[in-house]
Amino acid sequence: MAQIPNLENAPLNLKSIREKSQRELVNLLKDIRGTKCLVIDPKLSGSVSLIIQTSTLKELGLELRHLSEEPVQTECTKVVYLVRSQLSFMKHIASHIQNDISKAIQRDYYVYFVPRRSVACEKILEQEKVHNLVTVKEFPLYMVPLDEDVISFELELSEKDCLVDGDVSSLWHVAKAIHELEFSFGVIPKVRAKGKGSVRVADILNRMQVEEPVNTNDVGRPEVDTLILLDREVDMVTPMCTQLTYEGLLNEFLHISNGAVEVDSSVMGSQQEGKKMKVPLNSSIFDAWNRNCDFLGLDKHTVVDKLFKETRDLNFEVVVQVLRQKATTMKEDYTEINSVRLFCRSLPLGSLVFAVEVMTQTVSELKDFVKKLNSLPEMTRHIHLAQHLTTFTSKQSFLSQLDMEQTLVEAESYDICFEYIEELIHKQEPLTKVLRLLVLFSITNSGTELLHSYGFEHVNVLNNLEKAGLLKKQEFKSNWQTVKRTLKLIVEDTDTSRPVDIAYVYSGYAPLSIRLVQQAIHSGWRPIEDILKLLPGPHLETKRSGFPSSPSVDSLHGASNGVADGRRSVVLVVFIGGVTFAEISALRFLASKEGVAYDLIIATTKIINGATLIETFMDKQG
Amino acid sequence: MANVSVAAEWQLLYNRYYRKPEIYQMRWKHVDLSRNKVACASFGGPIAVIRDDSKIVQLYAESALRKLRIFNSAGVLLSETVWKHPGGRLIGMSWSDDQTLISIVQDGTIYRYNIHAELIQPNVTMGKECFEQNVVECVFWGNGVVCLTEGGQLFCISDFKTMKPYKLADVPGLTDDDMLQPTCLAVREPQYTMSGNVEVLVAVGDEIYVVDEDEAQSIRFDEPSVEDSEMQNDDNGNLIGPVQKMIVSPNGKFLTLFTHDGRVVVVGMESKQIAIDYSCESALPPQQMAWCGMDSVLLYWDEDLMMVGPLGDPVHYFYDEPVILIPECDGVRILSNTSLEFLQRVPDSTESIFKIGSTSPAALLYDALDHFDRRSAKADENLRLIRSSLSEAVESCIDAAGHEFDVNRQRALLRAASYGQAFSSNFQRDRVQETCRTLRVLNAVRDPDIGIPLSIQQYKLLTPVVLISRLINAHSHFLALRISEYLGMNKEVVIMHWACAKITASASTPDAHLLEILLDKLQLCRGISYAAVATHADNCGRRKLAAMLVEHEPRSTKQVPLLLSIGEEDTALVKATESGDTDLVYLVIFHIWQKRPPLEFFAMIQGRVLARDLFVAYARCHKQEFLKDFFLSTGQIHEVAFLLWKESWDMGKNPMASKGSPLHGPRIKLIEKASNLFSQTKEHTFEVKAAEEHAKLLRIQHELEASTKQAIFVDSSINDTIRTCIVLRNNRAAAKVKSEFKVSDKRWYWLKTFALATIKDWEALEKFSKEKRPPTGFRPFVEACIDADEKAEALKYIPKLSDLVERGEAYARIGMAKEAADAAAQANDGGELLERFRKTFSQNAIFDTLKMPFQGVS
Repeated sequence: MAQIPNLENAPLNLKSIREKSQRELVNLLKDIRGTKCLVIDPKLSGSVSLIIQTSTLKELGLELRHLSEEPVQTECTKVVYLVRSQLSFMKHIASHIQNDISKAIQRDYYVYFVPRRSVACEKILEQEKVHNLVTVKEFPLYMVPLDEDVISFELELSEKDCLVDGDVSSLWHVAKAIHELEFSFGVIPKVRAKGKGSVRVADILNRMQVEEPVNTNDVGRPEVDTLILLDREVDMVTPMCTQLTYEGLLNEFLHISNGAVEVDSSVMGSQQEGKKMKVPLNSSIFDAWNRNCDFLGLDKHTVVDKLFKETRDLNFEVVVQVLRQKATTMKEDYTEINSVRLFCRSLPLGSLVFAVEVMTQTVSELKDFVKKLNSLPEMTRHIHLAQHLTTFTSKQSFLSQLDMEQTLVEAESYDICFEYIEELIHKQEPLTKVLRLLVLFSITNSGTELLHSYGFEHVNVLNNLEKAGLLKKQEFKSNWQTVKRTLKLIVEDTDTSRPVDIAYVYSGYAPLSIRLVQQAIHSGWRPIEDILKLLPGPHLETKRSGFPSSPSVDSLHGASNGVADGRRSVVLVVFIGGVTFAEISALRFLASKEGVAYDLIIATTKIINGATLIETFMDKQG
Repeated sequence: MANVSVAAEWQLLYNRYYRKPEIYQMRWKHVDLSRNKVACASFGGPIAVIRDDSKIVQLYAESALRKLRIFNSAGVLLSETVWKHPGGRLIGMSWSDDQTLISIVQDGTIYRYNIHAELIQPNVTMGKECFEQNVVECVFWGNGVVCLTEGGQLFCISDFKTMKPYKLADVPGLTDDDMLQPTCLAVREPQYTMSGNVEVLVAVGDEIYVVDEDEAQSIRFDEPSVEDSEMQNDDNGNLIGPVQKMIVSPNGKFLTLFTHDGRVVVVGMESKQIAIDYSCESALPPQQMAWCGMDSVLLYWDEDLMMVGPLGDPVHYFYDEPVILIPECDGVRILSNTSLEFLQRVPDSTESIFKIGSTSPAALLYDALDHFDRRSAKADENLRLIRSSLSEAVESCIDAAGHEFDVNRQRALLRAASYGQAFSSNFQRDRVQETCRTLRVLNAVRDPDIGIPLSIQQYKLLTPVVLISRLINAHSHFLALRISEYLGMNKEVVIMHWACAKITASASTPDAHLLEILLDKLQLCRGISYAAVATHADNCGRRKLAAMLVEHEPRSTKQVPLLLSIGEEDTALVKATESGDTDLVYLVIFHIWQKRPPLEFFAMIQGRVLARDLFVAYARCHKQEFLKDFFLSTGQIHEVAFLLWKESWDMGKNPMASKGSPLHGPRIKLIEKASNLFSQTKEHTFEVKAAEEHAKLLRIQHELEASTKQAIFVDSSINDTIRTCIVLRNNRAAAKVKSEFKVSDKRWYWLKTFALATIKDWEALEKFSKEKRPPTGFRPFVEACIDADEKAEALKYIPKLSDLVERGEAYARIGMAKEAADAAAQANDGGELLERFRKTFSQNAIFDTLKMPFQGVS
């Protein structure tokens, strides 16, 4: 039960974007009369569930199925495939249709490509001789808002496609999505990009503006004034480190998908053993709440988990303290009220006046308490989750893992690390975990043993990682020391409870990616050009304008930096190749600092962590 | 006094005034309508003239060859061509709605011309029957035609766009042996019939039949007077009797008949009610008959044009030369050898202003302006009189101005309107502007050189868009452009058409020069499709110009497909790559792939990184054999090796192939082949070794499966194979695998301890620990025991851990806090470990206490 994220307080009107997608999808489906079976590719169904409720889809007379190799089991005579334009899905669809033909089942087939039709996909349908049997349309879903300040393009394979296969389709997609945003919010005047992909996206974006210009008269003054594009490739170190924020850790251990984590129900204090349950994170909707909302006619999505909003970006250590503090005060309140109640009951009738006096005094407190009680489900939920997380974080292996990461990032004593990694391999720890460290370590001497332990099918992973430049066979001189020093990536004495620097998200390591963003926002690339040259890919800094016949953007904005007119400027930070929750937290921290006059919107090809990123490099071939 | 002279030209038909202003003096010379067949297009369209070959005419100083000439409505020659088609006499000729001249000759062949007298290919025929029987008559409407053959059959084309002829139902009496001849034909257009199909009215003898594709039905009409209907009903014939001529009204609702006894009868098609019944002086059928709007009917005999209305005496106009009636939606244009007139009912607004003795507010307003101009105080008096209905008066003046053809009178009326408007507070001011705008356009196209005499009503019905398309068809691009600009319409249509026409017309202009001329104009319109112009250039056989034009197309989605179609594959690939749109790159790849032999294709994409990578991605998914060819031809042997290796895995996944050793042979062969290929390159020593080992492993696993009779080895890793051996207590096999693959001691210790722990063979484990000093230390033993939750076993090894920190942690993990603390205290790390222990222990306690009070609530 993925929840549609709440977008009420977004710096940009992301809700309108979501509503547009909703309408488009509903209209597409309404075009087909009668009952129909909607076969959706599993990953896409997650994205779709973030923009439209399953119940709404069912009201349209839909049977929902996930696309797989197996033929679709349905009574419906109309089958609608809603798929991303990936080559591999076409074979499934073709085989389904051929299967129906062989069984003499007559059906109408519709293939709706997301976000658009693809020549290559249709070619396969043609070659499988089913293209003439299907009606092809497109559902232009280029992005999904995940949160008030986070947009995902839902391109999980982007990094691998670009780096390993040279398939840069995702760059066009990203540019198209940004261009779509520009149609709603105006042409973004300032662009800063670092990395091959980012520079290319900026280039394609400019082309799009020529081919299909945003009419500035329609949209008025641009709402976003800076676009920062950053390739994941530029900073592969950060995602390989374990995230230490609350949300980051939840993702590392429990894997957040579409705004919820799945855990054993015993974790959440339920009596039913062995049952899995999904716990929503970014919104707080329980069944009871839902019922109340229905009853009161409230919009279900307006209930926000305030507690999570407060804690998600904190270092996990601090989260435990915060939870403890809140729970203790609540517990005290709870006992206090109880005692008042008991006290009143024990009083003789004559003293009732006094009791009433006491009561009126406490009524306001009582109200406060009741208000707090509303957050009780959230409270228990997060206490359960946090405790569950500590079972992982207190493990020795976790701590030594952190130790290793820290050592690698600080670039000291590689020998220990090597031994440690070797031991992980001997112990046959999960391959992704090993590869994460290996990528940090960037050597392949231990490659052979890796295959011995995990099987020869993984030779392709190594090959892929090498193609992507994440593993290097030969010795090379690393620039890391210089980069680390110049950008002050290692921050000693980080007080995680009162952070002054973004380094708190990795307990002492300031993510390189965010340092770059920080620079880009504050001073542009020029002061750090020397450092940028040490990192992969070109960089670019340009000014654009969508106003061929009107005064330049600069004169409009003046030197105000967006504050003079009382308007906070909006900076759109786009990560090509994915971003981690910890990095998002770090960015939020930047924007929340005092005296900062901008809001950040983060867009990414996908929310990732080290493991999920590495998984994309594993061809599922063995 | 001017007012009087205006109304003096009007004629009164019962209570309605008609006027017949002359619009043009015909510019042509020596055109005698009586010697020619003439086709005039409605909405002030062109006039086609050709010598009538059914009449005997005297030739003056002219060629015996017939010429088809096309004039505009003012008689300016637009184009001409020599007519030398076979197929017999020209039977009928008419302009279609899109201003194509349709001409039908005796054998049923249809020749089509555009306004430039250029024959539009291909010629169409009405069909075999028409060819055999000969066409004798045809009746046109805007978008179709019906032909009658000598054999009395009817054929119809109901859409000039598709040009598909079909046969209509046979009419009784026509095709039988008695061979009656139909006296006349008329057509009810598809848009006005119930069925949506065309209906043909055929008068045969006493009957009128309505014919469509399926049947021919006779229809009857009621007599108007009741008294004589009874006796006439008895003879059971058509009450009207044989009909000599008939026409259908412009809205398809009424039928005008000219009967054998000289009566003009108008009947409703649905109601069958007779609306007009007028007896003429002679029973001779008129040469032409036409509706004038919806109010009256015109009949033309030599020199006499008679207008009949529902009531009152008809009006007669006399001509001393032949005329042709051209029906329009709001009147009739009357073409003679020397002039073109427009006969229409006087609009109500005009009537109210100019009628003799009119005291309507509009008339007073018009008069007031006259006084004002003459500085007479009477102007004010007039205004005072009509104060209450001033806006009505202004409205009438504006409306009347719109209906005028005379520019001076338009101006006078508009001035009156704006004069009145100044005193009127509640009048929509843009009405004057709007009418001015419309009149400017109308006056521009009415200019004799353009010659499109549209009335305002016709203009509104035709719409500006169609007017512009007619102008550009007639190559009046400049005027069309100005009108588009003036009306704020999209100029793209005009410029595009101009560009295409220019290319067609400039066959001898060099490419570069023509390109310059074209670009100059194309730049006027942002977002214009250069690709479309380029396509046209290509169709005109100017591929080079097309290539130059398409270079300017900003939209790659349009540019790339066109480049492909003009054979510029290389450029297409470059442009597609530049656009960043991988879909376009695929489009190009598939195009080249299909057209070129594989080797040429490979060579083409090999140098283009993006195209190559996309091809590889596609082929990996769908065309693996072809991909191998590609890698081989481009010398990427290691990629072939990877593919082979992958194939071996696919084979393993196939459940049919994975069981039973004989089928493993091919897998191993594939891997060995891959290993061979790897070894041909220098950079892949790692892969060579891995592949060799993989093959070796598979062999050993086969043997193990054979000897243990358990199919559990194949496709597990070396570690897992060893572990399985140990679990099966087959130590010899385990040791053999270890030595075969030179498994390091460290790995061996980790492996074996965990394997022994899984089968809980603690005895063997202890024995193993004592074999020699473990190269890994005792950590594997401790961890294996703790993981298996065997504290007692773990305690055997914990004290042997040399690292105190490790020892402390191990104690902690099995819950022996005191021993842990002791070890930690001994460990010399500044109490860090001790602190951590405290934290973890206390934290867990916190959570438990926190949860307690809420247990009941949640």
